[in-house]
Amino acid sequence: MSLQFVVDGLLTGSMIGLGAIGVTLTYSILRFSNFAHGDFMAWGTYATLAVVSAIGAMVGKVAPIGPLSFGWPLIVALIVGMAFTALLALLLDKVLFARLRSQGQAIIVVMASFGASMALRSLLEFTFTSRPTYFSRAIQIAMPVGFGIRITPDQIALLLLTAVLVLGVHLLMTRTQTGRSMQALSQNAALARIVGIDVASVVRVTWVIGGALACVAGVMIGILVQIRPFMGFDMLLPMFAAAILGGIGSIPGAVLGGLIIGLAEAGAVQLIGAEWRAAVSFIILMAVLFVRPIGLFGVRER
Amino acid sequence: MSEIVLDVRDLEAGYEPGVPIVRGASITVRKGEIVVVLGPNGAGKSSFIKAIAGLVPITGGTVFLDGKDITAAPAHTMVRLGLAFVPQTENIFPLMSVEDNLRVACGILERREIPARIEEMYAAFPDLVRQRRTAAGNLSGGQRQMLAVARALIVHPKVLVLDEPSAGLSPKFVSMVFEMLANIRKSGVTILLVEQNAKAALAIGDRAYVLVEGKDRHEGIASELWNDPVVAELYLGQRPLKSEGGSAA
Repeated sequence: MSLQFVVDGLLTGSMIGLGAIGVTLTYSILRFSNFAHGDFMAWGTYATLAVVSAIGAMVGKVAPIGPLSFGWPLIVALIVGMAFTALLALLLDKVLFARLRSQGQAIIVVMASFGASMALRSLLEFTFTSRPTYFSRAIQIAMPVGFGIRITPDQIALLLLTAVLVLGVHLLMTRTQTGRSMQALSQNAALARIVGIDVASVVRVTWVIGGALACVAGVMIGILVQIRPFMGFDMLLPMFAAAILGGIGSIPGAVLGGLIIGLAEAGAVQLIGAEWRAAVSFIILMAVLFVRPIGLFGVRER
Repeated sequence: MSEIVLDVRDLEAGYEPGVPIVRGASITVRKGEIVVVLGPNGAGKSSFIKAIAGLVPITGGTVFLDGKDITAAPAHTMVRLGLAFVPQTENIFPLMSVEDNLRVACGILERREIPARIEEMYAAFPDLVRQRRTAAGNLSGGQRQMLAVARALIVHPKVLVLDEPSAGLSPKFVSMVFEMLANIRKSGVTILLVEQNAKAALAIGDRAYVLVEGKDRHEGIASELWNDPVVAELYLGQRPLKSEGGSAA
């Protein structure tokens, strides 16, 4: 079999992993499965697309950067989109999740996130129709890098971006007071308050990180595949599978889980056919739950 | 007498409205003292001390710390106000290293003060130094209790409040914990603790209160209380003591 699946798998895995960071943080710190996380991706992507179009309308056509398919407007738009998605997550928490969370029943919050997911997706379809759209229609020439592998400049850039973001989040979690507070809150919420941690502010940081990374993951899909209102929802199962495979609460785990699932999907497409792609996440998810429910980096509750 | 640090007046508290567990309890803690709150099982000792720390809703009465009303203060503001609480169980973050457990509690300290303050804690609790990179969940029971106390002390509290620090520890660790508390007091820290283990607590305490059915019913000098017939009556008069390792019989 061709080794091309490694590049494809790493790319899909990067998107899954960036999304799974948000899923695993929400799960461990806010203690619920946020089914609207995929729709944060889609909203972030459409917001980025809207900003790109707006910049295009204002300054005209901008030449792409070097061999890439996009120019500076996309980078600016991505930053705006990340901020927008973070705000969307904060807003949704304020009007919906926070109120339900205070009533203390996790399952109600999960159901609410399901409803929010459908509403967000329908709003996108209503506004942008369900027709796929693209950041750029330019075709990139993939460069051969040996072993039968070909990779485009966009793909290299996005893999590097993923690496930088993952490293950044990991350092934030392990080296800063904010990160330690997030860890503390996920391990023992009552004790976190006792040691002086303002839970509300840590919760806000969690949404900001999750939302911003969801936007990046969505834009990656937009650049490499296409933009559709369902783009995020379709990522939901792989993201949850990655978060659980990595061990809930673990950032490196979520990313590694994403890469494993991405590689497994790409390998399965080559070996048994594209129609089985979606089944891979499900099979991995079930296998983890049966064999090692705490995941790769998870730790048993004491 | 030294000045009053903690002044609790007619405190009423409970988890559900209309079902008070603490029913008008009053105590004072003076600077540099160790004050012990004793009482039979179900007397509301734990709820009393948690209410002071902002963890159980207060429905009546007041809590003053250094003359400042802290009755309605949220739990996470207590360390800033000068009250550090050590819960009975789950009082460490098990997956974080010993050092991160200390560091995460330093939120109210000046950033440049933190490394020196952590070293001071290691100097006071040498057992923790060797384990600084160990996940706190792997510590022994006694070491966990040390870490929990160090974590509370690191922010220079005006009063250190402990909920049954000897609970669940083997006898060897129990004496170690009380010895540690006596040493902490020597360094000038004011301590309020709730205990089942009356004998050991009275041995290190200055004054003690007996809490029965959510109300303070008796007060005295700690060393005299052990042989005080009223205490025996309050304990035994309410309901037979369940065996708590023979602690308060």
